[in-house]
Amino acid sequence: MQIYELAWIIPLLPLVAFLIVGFLGGKMKDKGGMIALAGVGGAMVLSLLVAYQALTAGFDGGAHYFEQSMAWVSVGGYDLQLGIYIDTVTALMLIVVSFVASLVVIYSVGYMHDQGERRRRYFTEICLFVGVMLGLVLANNFLQLFIFWELVGLCSYLLIGFWFERPSAASAAKKAFLVTRVGDVMFMVGLIVLLTTFKTLNFHTLFDPAVIGGADQGMLALGLFFMFGGSIGKSAQFPLHDWLPDAMEGPTTVSALIHAATMVKAGVYLVARMFPLLIFVPDVGLFIAIIGGVTALMAATMALNSPLIKRVLAYSTISQLGYMFLSLGTGAYLFGIGLKDGNEALMAAGSIAFAAGLFHLMNHAFFKALLFLSAGAVIHYVHTEELRLMGGLRKHMKVTSTVMLIGSLSIAGIPILSGFWSKDEILASVFEAGSDHWVFLLLWLMGVITAFLTAFYMFRMWFMTFAGEEGEATKHATHTKGEHVGAHGDEHGHEAEVHEHHEAPWVMLGPLVVLAILAIGSGLVVFIGEGFSGTIFFDVKEAFSLDKILGDWLTYLSVLVAIAGIALAYFTFYKKKVDAGAIANKPSVRPLYNMLLKRYGFTKGYDYIGEKVVYGFSLAVDWFDRKIIDGIVNLISRGLVGGGKAMRKMQTGLVQSYSAIIIGGIVVLIVLLYVLGYVLGVI
Amino acid sequence: MIPLEYFLILSSVLFVIGIVGVLTKKNAILVLISIELMLNAANINFVAFAAYNNDPTGYVFALFSIGIAAAEVAVGLAILLNLNRLKDTVHVDDLNTMRW
Repeated sequence: MQIYELAWIIPLLPLVAFLIVGFLGGKMKDKGGMIALAGVGGAMVLSLLVAYQALTAGFDGGAHYFEQSMAWVSVGGYDLQLGIYIDTVTALMLIVVSFVASLVVIYSVGYMHDQGERRRRYFTEICLFVGVMLGLVLANNFLQLFIFWELVGLCSYLLIGFWFERPSAASAAKKAFLVTRVGDVMFMVGLIVLLTTFKTLNFHTLFDPAVIGGADQGMLALGLFFMFGGSIGKSAQFPLHDWLPDAMEGPTTVSALIHAATMVKAGVYLVARMFPLLIFVPDVGLFIAIIGGVTALMAATMALNSPLIKRVLAYSTISQLGYMFLSLGTGAYLFGIGLKDGNEALMAAGSIAFAAGLFHLMNHAFFKALLFLSAGAVIHYVHTEELRLMGGLRKHMKVTSTVMLIGSLSIAGIPILSGFWSKDEILASVFEAGSDHWVFLLLWLMGVITAFLTAFYMFRMWFMTFAGEEGEATKHATHTKGEHVGAHGDEHGHEAEVHEHHEAPWVMLGPLVVLAILAIGSGLVVFIGEGFSGTIFFDVKEAFSLDKILGDWLTYLSVLVAIAGIALAYFTFYKKKVDAGAIANKPSVRPLYNMLLKRYGFTKGYDYIGEKVVYGFSLAVDWFDRKIIDGIVNLISRGLVGGGKAMRKMQTGLVQSYSAIIIGGIVVLIVLLYVLGYVLGVI
Repeated sequence: MIPLEYFLILSSVLFVIGIVGVLTKKNAILVLISIELMLNAANINFVAFAAYNNDPTGYVFALFSIGIAAAEVAVGLAILLNLNRLKDTVHVDDLNTMRW
């Protein structure tokens, strides 16, 4: 039996764990943590087996995918199915999602230790989250994908609002739910357009070039455009990016999961899934690339002066996701142009860009999970998110500071570390596309600036957290740790024994170390086999090669830019050669500084739109509903009641009035017949 | 021979007088009498058309309707007598028992 035939069990395992923890977790000693771990871990083992098979042995009969499905609804010429679809992209996502999720769950066992009864809720929701994300990845049609997509949104709502008694958490959850909903509605519109165009949403039919070629290209472009709207919402791209920084209100582990493995990666996955369709409409690819490039730069600028550790990471996620979209969009554009002209070289370049996007997705998953979980360990220790209050933590948190340094170097794009390979490949692809369309040159420039800013803000964060003088929170934490533990000694029996300068327990550090190793090494997989070009659905393949990367001046430029960014951060926030506070307080810089803090006014903008436009529109709709719609209904009912009343009055019981009605009726009839006869000319 | 129109006009006048009587009279006996007027208007028509068309069917119909009228009046008067005994009135305005 093929391992693929068991793939449907993958999402089921966390979902079963979800049910068990949900119903019985309260009675367990660890509130379901182990069951959650078993469910997610089991899914990981099976995922890795399936992915290994898919990435190495391939699929039977020379096919590029494996599919298993059953009929669900067949009505009116539409054929809807439920099933699983595995190809190399799925395999990659399976690895990323299940692996990162497992590490996050292990970490959570330590991180959520002091949450008491609430851990049951936490583990229940985490299991559901991972389960539906795996279901999303394995779906064999867009409708099924959409169902899981919505469930992922629900889970993010539940988890962001985990501490629902805090107004900020409640409103952040609401915001995440509502803003992504804007994208989801667009996704749904796109699905409907595709469904009416193709009469099916199954991947294997949709991805058949003959089917796509025979369809109305205008409708296809429209459908894909709207579906990308869903990606914008889910992956927090411009202009629907504003929910992600607020989503930091949830537990840090949830942030790690959302940023590295689940929620926001779903949007990128959707674009990767649409790729075979996108290449037929290169303009949509161009649009995706522009959105990606703009988002990357804008989010990076907002991260520059963010005062909270997790906010910096949130902006950086948005920015990195921008890179992924930039890459995928560029790939679709190049491949599409190449396909039209029959230019093999362009198609190969497009494939590379596509692969680079997915490659970055994987690397980002590892180093961003690492960064978030490290940040979680820091917050666990100092009980604040304010960067200003930290500082000097390196002495107290040796492991955490080291792994976070690795993560920061990786995301900054320092060679050998994973972030370098994928980011460099993306920038190279975009630059190459510049020869086909000038917009890509601009996007490339934005990408390079983003790389510089990324290096700068990541190291600003690192220096402010771990280096320099000890901040207030650090002092407080190291000073009171012993008393704190003593006071709760009976609750956390084992903690009372440890000495006071203690960083996170090993159940939290273990996952960090694993992720750190991946943040260093995951980039090297490009040198295994066909590298990432193997993830491509098409026959055009071109492996990444070290010679090509080393022989390109772009590589040295991006390394230089990264080092420059780190150097600037070093001199500003460690050596204090540059006084950041003074620069920020200059009258010429202050407005810019404030604008970045206020996220370019997007938060206000949403409120404004919500208050003026949407609320006004809602009022108009409400008026229409109450006056017109209800008015019609009331009119009908009133007419019926009035008619009934009139009929009742006619019921006198008097013979004479009845006979008067009868005679009157006869007279009317005679007159009518007479008139009718006259009109018809009978009389 | 007297023209047919004269008979028709006479019968119409009688019929309308009958209708007005049925609709306006308060006394149930007068209503019955008015109904007789309407029946007789019909009878006049029957007889007039029979004579005019040389067809005896009309005479026969007139006889029938006189018979039916007699029977009807007998039944009607019986009902009225009973009503009078029960309600102590023969005014149609007071008799609204047909209302449910």
